[in-house]
Amino acid sequence: MPLSTESQTDNDQYILIASLDNARNLSNILKAISLKDHAIFNATQNGLKVTVEDSKCLQANAFIQTDIFQEYIIKEDAVGFQVNLTVLLDCLTIFGGSTVPGVCTALKMCYNGYGHPLTLFLEEGGVVTVCKINTQEPEEPIDFDFCSTNVTNKVILQSDSLKEAFSELDMTSEVLQITMSPSHPYFRLSTFGNSGNAHYDYPKDSDMMELFQCTKTQTNRYKMSLLKPSTKALALSCKVSVRTDVRGFLSLQYLVRNDDGQICFVEYYCCPDEEAEEE
Amino acid sequence: MKFVIEGNGVKVFGKAVHALSRIGDEMWLDPLEKGLAVRSVNSSQSAYGCFVFTPLFFQQYILQSDVQQCWKAAKCKLNMKCVLPLFRCVAWRERGVDKCEISINIPNNRVMFRFHCRHGITKTYNLGYQECEALQAVFPSHLCPNVLTAQPKLLSDIVVHFPVSQEEVTLSVSSAKMSLKTFCDEGTRIKGMNTELSLHPDEFDYFQVGVDSAVTFCLKELRGFLNFAESHGLPVSWQFGVAGQPVAFSVEDMMLEANVVLSTLMDQNQEGSLSAPGGDGVENTTTAVADFSFGPAEAEDADIVGIADGERVASSQNSEVFSPALHVSKMIQFNRAEETQPRSSSTTPVTPASSQCFKIRSLLFGAVFSDGGGSITGDLPTLVCASDTEEDGGVDDGLG
Repeated sequence: MPLSTESQTDNDQYILIASLDNARNLSNILKAISLKDHAIFNATQNGLKVTVEDSKCLQANAFIQTDIFQEYIIKEDAVGFQVNLTVLLDCLTIFGGSTVPGVCTALKMCYNGYGHPLTLFLEEGGVVTVCKINTQEPEEPIDFDFCSTNVTNKVILQSDSLKEAFSELDMTSEVLQITMSPSHPYFRLSTFGNSGNAHYDYPKDSDMMELFQCTKTQTNRYKMSLLKPSTKALALSCKVSVRTDVRGFLSLQYLVRNDDGQICFVEYYCCPDEEAEEE
Repeated sequence: MKFVIEGNGVKVFGKAVHALSRIGDEMWLDPLEKGLAVRSVNSSQSAYGCFVFTPLFFQQYILQSDVQQCWKAAKCKLNMKCVLPLFRCVAWRERGVDKCEISINIPNNRVMFRFHCRHGITKTYNLGYQECEALQAVFPSHLCPNVLTAQPKLLSDIVVHFPVSQEEVTLSVSSAKMSLKTFCDEGTRIKGMNTELSLHPDEFDYFQVGVDSAVTFCLKELRGFLNFAESHGLPVSWQFGVAGQPVAFSVEDMMLEANVVLSTLMDQNQEGSLSAPGGDGVENTTTAVADFSFGPAEAEDADIVGIADGERVASSQNSEVFSPALHVSKMIQFNRAEETQPRSSSTTPVTPASSQCFKIRSLLFGAVFSDGGGSITGDLPTLVCASDTEEDGGVDDGLG
């Protein structure tokens, strides 16, 4: 393994080392949350959490747990930094997007601590690239205070059915309205565009519906511009859970299987559009 | 009012919408007793398409019980850009769609398309529509001297040879053969590639040539229709007469009837000046159209439609501009609500004096709006760009 040519002393100075035999297991997940340029990294013993926020109304998180990595060493309880996500993704895919089976880019990601850049060692076919990306002081991610006890409605759907809907959403509509109810229409996505309105109804007994737990009828509207990027996460996922709480906040959780079949999670939190009221 | 289409029918309906989208930007929905008429006309009003789906096509076909009420109330004009996406990816939808329900909500001015898809998923689209007069072409195709019928594959095979960029073609028939060639004016240099295809009458299922003629029309709007015919596997009938008269293409089976009518270039030799009352295209149209809504007794007057003045534009040759007005004539009429029959009697009598002044014309598409909305015939249809064709002789006199 070329990456192990580093001496032990070098390794000692890093407070975080995370290695992957296949960098796509990280880059794909990060693409699913790449709504904005900057991402906040928070590494703990459990793994890596990457957060991207948009206008204080939307937050996307990607979780890559420890066992996904071939090597994961963390010397502090929590290591946090902020980097330019676009640059990071460019580096992770620096060898191009080779889809030849068996050929993948290996990654070793290292961080010395506050004030140091994030160092990436990438190797493919014997060629090694070293990237150092400047880090910034991590901002505190917004706490959407979304806890399970406040969840009023929850459904789990197979992603395929939602993928169709999201790809057809009327983009001339400013909002995406989500209605969840114990009675008809059960789960409905609505748009209000220039030509008229559109409704996608998923009945509770649909075979695409894996779980249906709705306690009360709620209709909430969310800005389309905020939610549309979640289509990337949807495209990667096999299942998605949609939850709303008493305030109308939306939580979308995506179950993503990476190239090796391991499971990672991506979640989106979104505030309701201010004119909307709970019904 | 509710119409329900089952699985495969949704695909057919979608293809019809696609074909109409190649013609015009708006779609007219007209529920009739004989079926649901879906129509479109292009902006220059030189091409018209109509698909009538008979009640047999639908799983359910429910008009309002008060049929009269329904005709008066539900004339809808939808923006094609809004409807087309619903039927996009038709192949995909065919796999996923169990049925499609169309209903017209008159109080809210909405047409609802509801697709019942796999896995119990329902997709409902409520599109706003504009109320308008019904769009209908009145074209006595049974009076056409020339009728050809061919398998749709034959037509597609013919049309594929003509590049999409060269739109106008001349169709010539004699009793011995039929040929289709790129339209070009005599005297203009050949630009790009010119194509000519000839077919023997044996290639056709039916070949009737009453009058040797050559008609020139625009192929663009026809292609969508030919795609439809080929996918549906129905033979296509072409009816036409001499240059200047429209050419109609139609397919028919028990469940639907579709036709596209295209205006054709006027035969240059028959041009002359016209006097037309006023310059008001709308007035003329009414008169013109009235002439076409007639019964057998008035058949002789069928060809006589008066329209606008021949324009004379000072050019270096001082020749008459190849004005669209002279080359296309109005055919589409917008029926007033109380006229439910396509062949109602003339609303405006044609005075003998004006008849004599009018020359033989092909049919034009014209709109007579009682509420003044929509395009009016002031801008006359264009088959070819006037500026490109200033000289005569572009059209064959016919092979006879």
